[in-house]
Amino acid sequence: MPGPNRPAASPRRGGGLFSRATGARIWREHRLVLWLHFLVPPLLAALVVAATFASPALAAFLAALVLLLAACSARGLMTSLSSAEEAKNSLTDQLIQSQKLAAVGELSAGIAHEINNPIAIIAQEAQWATHLLDQAASGGGQDFSEVRDSLREIQAQVDRCGNITHKLLDFARKREPVLQEVDVARLVDDMARLVDKEASYKNVTLTRDLPQDLPTLRTDAPLLRQVVLNLMTNALHAVDKGGRISVTAQATDERMDISVTDNGCGIAQENMDKLFNPFFTTKPPGQGTGLGLALCHNLVLGMGGAILVESREGQGATFTVRLPRQPRALA
Amino acid sequence: MDINILLVDDETDFVETLTKRFRIRKIQVASASNGPDALKLLEDQEFDVAILDVRMPGMDGMELLRAIRARHPLTEVIMLTGHASLETGMQGMNLGAYDYVLKPADFDELLDKVRRAAERKALNARAQQAGS
Repeated sequence: MPGPNRPAASPRRGGGLFSRATGARIWREHRLVLWLHFLVPPLLAALVVAATFASPALAAFLAALVLLLAACSARGLMTSLSSAEEAKNSLTDQLIQSQKLAAVGELSAGIAHEINNPIAIIAQEAQWATHLLDQAASGGGQDFSEVRDSLREIQAQVDRCGNITHKLLDFARKREPVLQEVDVARLVDDMARLVDKEASYKNVTLTRDLPQDLPTLRTDAPLLRQVVLNLMTNALHAVDKGGRISVTAQATDERMDISVTDNGCGIAQENMDKLFNPFFTTKPPGQGTGLGLALCHNLVLGMGGAILVESREGQGATFTVRLPRQPRALA
Repeated sequence: MDINILLVDDETDFVETLTKRFRIRKIQVASASNGPDALKLLEDQEFDVAILDVRMPGMDGMELLRAIRARHPLTEVIMLTGHASLETGMQGMNLGAYDYVLKPADFDELLDKVRRAAERKALNARAQQAGS
C-alpha cells in the first residue's frame, strides 16, 4: 500500500515503462536494481559475443559467470516473491480471523439483546405477582386476576425466548439436504400464494414471471421453500404501501436463478457486507431477529449455491438464489 | 411404494372425505382430531407423512409440528390451512415442515405433495441407515 503522505505514482519520464510493469512503489524503492536488471543482461551478452572473437576460453568463462549471475538474481527474486506471498497470506488470514471475531461479537451482542428484553419483563412481572400475593396473604383482596395476567405475560416471554433459541439452534444445525426432482415454478408459485393475501392488505402487487418450460431441479424442496418464502417476506417488509414485488426464475444449462425484486427502501452501502451476519437487522428492537437472511445464506450454501444481492439505497433490491443444475457432491 | 399418512384436523367431515379419497389411491390413512391423540398414534406406529391443520383447539398445529419434528424427525409434515397467514407459513417452514398448503387444496396436488414428502422420508431413512 502506498504511504499516506507520498504523492501518488508520478514516475519520471523513462521510468514510465517500468513503473507500469512493476507498480509505482516498487519502481520508487528499487529503481537502481530494476535499471540494473534491465541493462546488465544485454551488456553481458554483448561482452560474451565480443569475447568469442578474442578467445573462446575467455568467452566460456564469461558465459559461465553470466549464468551464475542470472541464477543468483533469479533465486533472489524467487525468495522475495515467496516472502511477499507469505506476508499476503498471513494478512488475509488475520483479516478473516478478525472478521470472524467481529461476527462472533455481534452474535453474542445480538443474543444478549434479544434475550435480555424478555428477561427484564419476566423479572418485573414476577416481582409484581409476588407483591400481589403478599397483599392477598396479609388479608387484602382475593382477586387473583392480576396475578394470572402476570403469569400469562411471563409465559409469553418465556415462549419468546424459546423461539429465539430455537431459531439459533436451527441456524447452527447443519441440515443435510435431501435431493429430489423439484418443480421450481410450482414451488415458487406455492410460496407466492402464501404471500399474496398479506401483500394485498398492504396494497402491494406481487407478480410472477415463471417460464412454462422451466426445467425441474434436483434440490432440497423444503429448504428451497424456506429460502424463497423468507426472501419474499423480506421484500414485503421492505416495500411501502403500493409497492411492487416480482419473482422470477430462469435457467441456463449450468444453473437456475430465482430472483425476488422489490422497489422498496433498498440497502445502504455500508450494510451490504453485513447482510448475512446473524443478528444483523435494521428493524427496530423486538421486530426482527436478524436471523432470516443468515439462515437463508446457510441453507443455500448447503445446497451448493449462492445468494446474490443487488441494491441501491432508496431504489429497491434484488435477491437472487443461484443454484447449480448439477448439484456438486454435497458434503 | 406403500405410503401411510396421519391426518390431524378437528373438522371431522373434512377428515372423512380426505380419508376416503386417499384410500381409493391405496394410501393408508389414520386420523386424529387433536394434537395429543395424534402424538399417541405416532408413538405406536411410524407414519411417512402427517398432514396437520394449523388451527385446532388446544394444542395447535404449530405446537404439534414442533413436537413431531423433535420426537419423530423422520416423519414429514405437511401443514394444511384455511387461514393463509404469512407468519404461520414462515413459522411452519422454519420449523421444518415439508410444505405449507392452503385450503381448499386441489386433491391431486395434495396427493402429489404427499408422494414427494413420502419419497423424501424414504431417502432420509435410507441415509440414516447407511450412516449408522
